[in-house]
Amino acid sequence: MNNDILKIEDLNKSFTRNIINMRGKEENERFNIIDELDLFIPESKITALIGGNGAGKTTLFNIISRFTESDSGRISFHNNQWLNILKQPAYKLKHIGIGRLFQDNHIFQQMTVLENMLIADDSEWGERPFISLFKANKNKEIEKKRTKKVEKILFELFGINNPFWQKRKDLASSLSFGQQRLLGLARLFMGDYKLVLLDEPTAGVNPDLVKTICIIIKRMVKEKGLTVFLIEHNMKVVLEIADFCSFMSHGKITAFGSPKDVIGDENVRRTYLGM
Amino acid sequence: MNYIMHIIIMINIYIILTISSNLLVGMTNLLSLGQAAFYGIGAYFTIFCLMILHLPLIPTLLISMGMTALFSLLLALPSIRLKGDYFVLATLGFQLIVYTILYNWVSLTRGSFGIPGIPAPKLFGLIEISGIIPFLIFSFIMVGFTIFIFLKLINSPFGRVLKGIRDDELSVLSLGRNVTVFKIRVFVIASGFIAIAGFIYATYVTYIDPTSFTLDESIFILSALLIGGTGNIKGPIAGSIFVIILPELLRFVGLPNSVAANLRQIIYGLFLIILMRFRPQGLAGNYQVK
Repeated sequence: MNNDILKIEDLNKSFTRNIINMRGKEENERFNIIDELDLFIPESKITALIGGNGAGKTTLFNIISRFTESDSGRISFHNNQWLNILKQPAYKLKHIGIGRLFQDNHIFQQMTVLENMLIADDSEWGERPFISLFKANKNKEIEKKRTKKVEKILFELFGINNPFWQKRKDLASSLSFGQQRLLGLARLFMGDYKLVLLDEPTAGVNPDLVKTICIIIKRMVKEKGLTVFLIEHNMKVVLEIADFCSFMSHGKITAFGSPKDVIGDENVRRTYLGM
Repeated sequence: MNYIMHIIIMINIYIILTISSNLLVGMTNLLSLGQAAFYGIGAYFTIFCLMILHLPLIPTLLISMGMTALFSLLLALPSIRLKGDYFVLATLGFQLIVYTILYNWVSLTRGSFGIPGIPAPKLFGLIEISGIIPFLIFSFIMVGFTIFIFLKLINSPFGRVLKGIRDDELSVLSLGRNVTVFKIRVFVIASGFIAIAGFIYATYVTYIDPTSFTLDESIFILSALLIGGTGNIKGPIAGSIFVIILPELLRFVGLPNSVAANLRQIIYGLFLIILMRFRPQGLAGNYQVK
């Protein structure tokens, strides 16, 4: 039996949406995008979250990342001790061990590939203006160490002569979409995370790259002991890498279990897969 | 010769103004319309230190930088969390308030009469900086100092986070950096450096009045920066040279004064539009302001 690392209990989030009612008049309607949602994420496993468009998957991720406020509920995260992350500001999440990959990459386009990796480093030494002015030598030393770390990570993930290290001085905008995705994943190796949230890691990339991404996600769990919680639409990927799968529909988790069971579930097949 | 040196000093003042603004606009994507207000606060505190406290150069410079930074902190604390246009509006409001105070608090600033006869600052109580050549040297030293600090900052991990905020705030947040704190820091630093320009201007011209620190001036500083380009050192320098030299060139064309002033505005406007269309990163910039 696994321990849980993240417990989401009784979570609610509603939006007001503007609708036209039966009499043809506009009216505001409360709409529960997350509706009394409960979900436990097991530690050091890969848990996939599937569900149709508008089911509230990305909203759930945004609430966990603290970009969106929830209405009520509790999300506790375990890193040595249980912590209610809904009481933390967004920037603290990295410090307590939660990382995030965005659906549309969110790579720093106007920065070099190397800078993109360096900024994700676990240590934030030298980011105070006075330190950057008066401690130049120590700064250089630390930057060298960080650069070594980047080289090592890129080498381990993508092998010798990988395009990222060779193009490290180029702007990240010169990379293709798929490469940017890989860079976003590599960036997560710079930090000291316990749990990473991946929002559709394989969306919009070619089949070869999907394989690479699957390998990287598996390595996150095997080698770094991370817990991965990912939104995924590609059922092949879910079957291949996920240990657990949860199905989200109308703001609730309606099925949870092994990927085979969930994808085989009659309700899931009918409402989501259309079979 | 004096004329050319005068122009170079004015260019140097604008280089300091635009490089400081570059730290905000070009590095952090914070558009501020309050730059002239800080320029004015710096200039008025310089006068206060020189004429009332009779302080020498270095303490005067430090105090006016410190006080300007303090005022910018007061503005930053309530307004820095505002998004995009709302932040611009907050700085606009600040600009208008500062100008109104400078203009109307006659017992303190002499309002529209201005303050004449500003004494020359003394370095270590010995060397008096007065006359055009010492000022030329002094302004070059201050430009060098500003550029030095700017380069140090943007090439450090601190600058990297600023660039990150410029590109993608959400991502910086998810990487664990407190965006608000970084924005406040950079805003305060940039305003402190603008005070240097206020210091040079007040002591060089030896007369100031509030009309030097209007909203027009803020827009002028921003357009100098945008014409030159943001994100590096070359851009602000190119922009400052352009906006200072252009009216001087128009003077030689032989237009009557009343036409030349308006023509200047038209040319700046036209130039901005042409740049936006064909070279959105400015003359020498390497980043396009969103």
